[in-house]
Amino acid sequence: MKATLSVAALLVTLAARGGRSDELPPVRRATLDNGLRLVVSEYHELPLVEFYVMVGAGAAQDPPGKAGLAALTATTLRRGAGSLSAEALARAVDSLGGRLDATAGIEATVVSAEFLAKDFSTGLDLLRQVLLDPTFARDEVRRAREEQAAEIVAALDDPGAVAEKCFAAFLYGAHPYGRPIEGFRSTVPGLSRGDVRDFYERWYRPNDTILVLVGDVETADAIIRLREAFGAWRPRPDAVATRAGAPEPVSARRLLLVDKPDASQTQIRFGNISIARSHPDYLAATVANTILGGGFTSQLIEELRVKRSLTYSAWSGFAARLQGGDFRVGTFTKSPTTVETLALALEVEGNFRTQPTAPAALDKARTFLRGQFPLRLESPDALAARLAEGEFYGLPEDDLATYRSRVAQVTAADVERVARDHMPDPDRVAIVVVGKASEIRDPLTARFGNLDTIAPDACEKLSVAR
Amino acid sequence: MLRPSVVFLFAVLAIVPCAARAGDAPAYGASIDLAVADRTLKNGLLVLVQEDHSAPVVSSYVFYHCGSRNERQGRTGIAHLFEHMMFNGGKKFGPGVFDDLIEGNGGSTNGYTSRDLTAYLNNFPREALPLVLDLESDRMAHLAITPQNLEQERGVVKEERRLRIDNEVSGVMDEALYLQAFVESPRRWNTIGFMSDLDRITLDDARAYFATCYAPNNATLVLAGDVVPAPTFTLVERYFGAIPRRKPPPPVDASEPAQDGERRAAVRKNAELPAVLVGYHSLRALDPQRPVLDVIERVLAGGESARLHQDLVREHELATGIGADNVWGIDPDLFWVYVQARPGKTAAELEHRIDAVMTRMATEPVSAEELARAKNQLRAELVRGLKTVSGKANQLGFFQTVFGDHRAIFRLEAEWEAVTVDDVRRLAATLLVPSQRTVIVLVPVPSGRPASERMPTGGAVR
Repeated sequence: MKATLSVAALLVTLAARGGRSDELPPVRRATLDNGLRLVVSEYHELPLVEFYVMVGAGAAQDPPGKAGLAALTATTLRRGAGSLSAEALARAVDSLGGRLDATAGIEATVVSAEFLAKDFSTGLDLLRQVLLDPTFARDEVRRAREEQAAEIVAALDDPGAVAEKCFAAFLYGAHPYGRPIEGFRSTVPGLSRGDVRDFYERWYRPNDTILVLVGDVETADAIIRLREAFGAWRPRPDAVATRAGAPEPVSARRLLLVDKPDASQTQIRFGNISIARSHPDYLAATVANTILGGGFTSQLIEELRVKRSLTYSAWSGFAARLQGGDFRVGTFTKSPTTVETLALALEVEGNFRTQPTAPAALDKARTFLRGQFPLRLESPDALAARLAEGEFYGLPEDDLATYRSRVAQVTAADVERVARDHMPDPDRVAIVVVGKASEIRDPLTARFGNLDTIAPDACEKLSVAR
Repeated sequence: MLRPSVVFLFAVLAIVPCAARAGDAPAYGASIDLAVADRTLKNGLLVLVQEDHSAPVVSSYVFYHCGSRNERQGRTGIAHLFEHMMFNGGKKFGPGVFDDLIEGNGGSTNGYTSRDLTAYLNNFPREALPLVLDLESDRMAHLAITPQNLEQERGVVKEERRLRIDNEVSGVMDEALYLQAFVESPRRWNTIGFMSDLDRITLDDARAYFATCYAPNNATLVLAGDVVPAPTFTLVERYFGAIPRRKPPPPVDASEPAQDGERRAAVRKNAELPAVLVGYHSLRALDPQRPVLDVIERVLAGGESARLHQDLVREHELATGIGADNVWGIDPDLFWVYVQARPGKTAAELEHRIDAVMTRMATEPVSAEELARAKNQLRAELVRGLKTVSGKANQLGFFQTVFGDHRAIFRLEAEWEAVTVDDVRRLAATLLVPSQRTVIVLVPVPSGRPASERMPTGGAVR
């Protein structure tokens, strides 16, 4: 066997180690002359290196009529770079047992990679070629475009995914936060190689990009290597995106029914516009959300699942972004109990906003979040993503280091205030129900009034016209 | 946040092949040296402790060596339904207390059930260890099997079935595949059980299941994280030592008449795109030839450079995505391949190319480079499965339960390393052939017209 990876080189010991750390590992930050922000943290538990690159542009920067371009650019990025064809690049990554992905989000594009530590140099070079020297071969753009068009269709078969996508479109309308990252079936076929190149040239620049490295490396050496790899990346002043304004909340209850004619289960989502990630109330809002709809002992789980067996799961959460975001509740139930479940979920959420916080519930939420914190940062890729998040949203450098103590200081008054201010009045929410219309439309109308019924593939239209 | 859940076909990949490597005597070039201390209590409970002081957290897993393979016709789904009931109170801790105490002490809790096992996990700050052991031992010894508990979880589990099977295209196909591929083996039914069986399960069934499976001598407790073995064994002894040993569960007859001839079934569903799921009879996890199938799985589906992706996505542009898994089970399970079509492409076109790829596998040697790539991927995934204390504890328990010895993870790399070009071709020619396979075709029914009134659930769609 022609092993490119020698077994002995992998030898690590996961046995007892001296030197425990209750603290987070040290984090080193540096900015290159071209503006690239580096964040490096050492991790020596496993012989791995994780790269997490956030380029500060995403679907929100799709030009008019070209929805899906950020996603297509990200996909095509890794379909050939430098001297490597798409096949050769895939083979190179797979041969190392590594991973190299590029995914567009709404406000940023993430290029992430994982390699064994011994392959640091090879992996770094692959990442550099992908970021700085993508080929964008015409045929690769065509392939990626057709795959993306197919993915849009394929996603229609997943009721939960349909619910999420329709909810975003229904709530945000034409705001970029409501636009599907993968674009529309009407726009994707028109995206050209020129569009992809233009998007890349404009936005893939170091001066609004964050590069996090967490791994079995030595920090000073890693920074030298990163500087060697990315120091020549040319900045461009207009690569810093102008962000959209804050989204507008809905001012009355609006209900949309998405018809899945053979569904035996209804997917439910509701919510309204809420805070940005950098909002000072975000942490208290997280504590409040834990009580309402996080974990296994939340009020939503208690009322919908434990007491009434209406569902297998119920949850809530803040989707908090740069310019705002939303708070949403989700659950699902068999068709005949659709109205009961939706009405109860609205009631639980509404009551939570207005009723005092029980001290025991607050204690439990704080302890839960503090206890789970080290577990959530335990894997190097999770830590890398969290460090990048802090940079991207402009959170304080000690955001992670002070997390546990800040959670401990959240009071009942804080929870009551943020619930009232940042969780929506249930009379003013966008509601999306995905299910069998012939069975659930009449009972929904009887209880909640008029509603629109559309097919799953019509949701994309909501995010252009409202 | 999906607790208690069933491990499904399409989720197995994430759980199974990433393994740990352990121990005392790595005689064959260990890549990972995972120190594990083990102790068996007098009542037969096996305790594994993996020390990792990198963070002040601990993961506990209790593996019961029973899953849906231990069920019988007419009572399918009881293993998983019972898993749900395990969160609802014992003797010392009443109903609604378990989750509250775990979360109230900074922990999280969950469970999952597969054909082979039922696992209960908690990830928590180390200070909570005595409490976790208290809770786990209370429910092992004294679960409150009450009508309220059963009825509450029956409704929840039926909703879970609707989510994962009835309203999920791949879930419908997965269930149909196993019902077709297996005639006699208890692996044929899905772990979540038939809806009619979920309605039928009684309190007596639940009591009998508890008495059969939930004994210390039928369980493994794994603790990974900020713990030290000696005092931990003492602590475990204090909580679990008094639980009496019981008669072990009767052996499972997983015999299956040999298949000689392709089986096929179509499932109709409101869906946008056709899809094909092909399952070949495979080898049990302990079979010495199983590692060859692990390697074949990677050659076929290990990343974008692998054969199925190159052929169906790149070259012929027929598929949106592909997946394959050589499922590791106590009994022989399946080696499956799943492909979803692009708009305008048909299931027949997909099948034609799957056939071509599989035939080539059985007739032409793989290149040395392909073989090396497959092995490197398997090794890297081994490392990846160990990123968290929870991952480590899960792997150790899995190998103990399915391979009968947690140290089986030592052997993986040597096993893969030994696989030759010739092994690959020979085994593919023996097992991955049309006469040994079952083909499930998804026939999309356009929205606007309902699919068949009910999906077939009671038996094979034959």
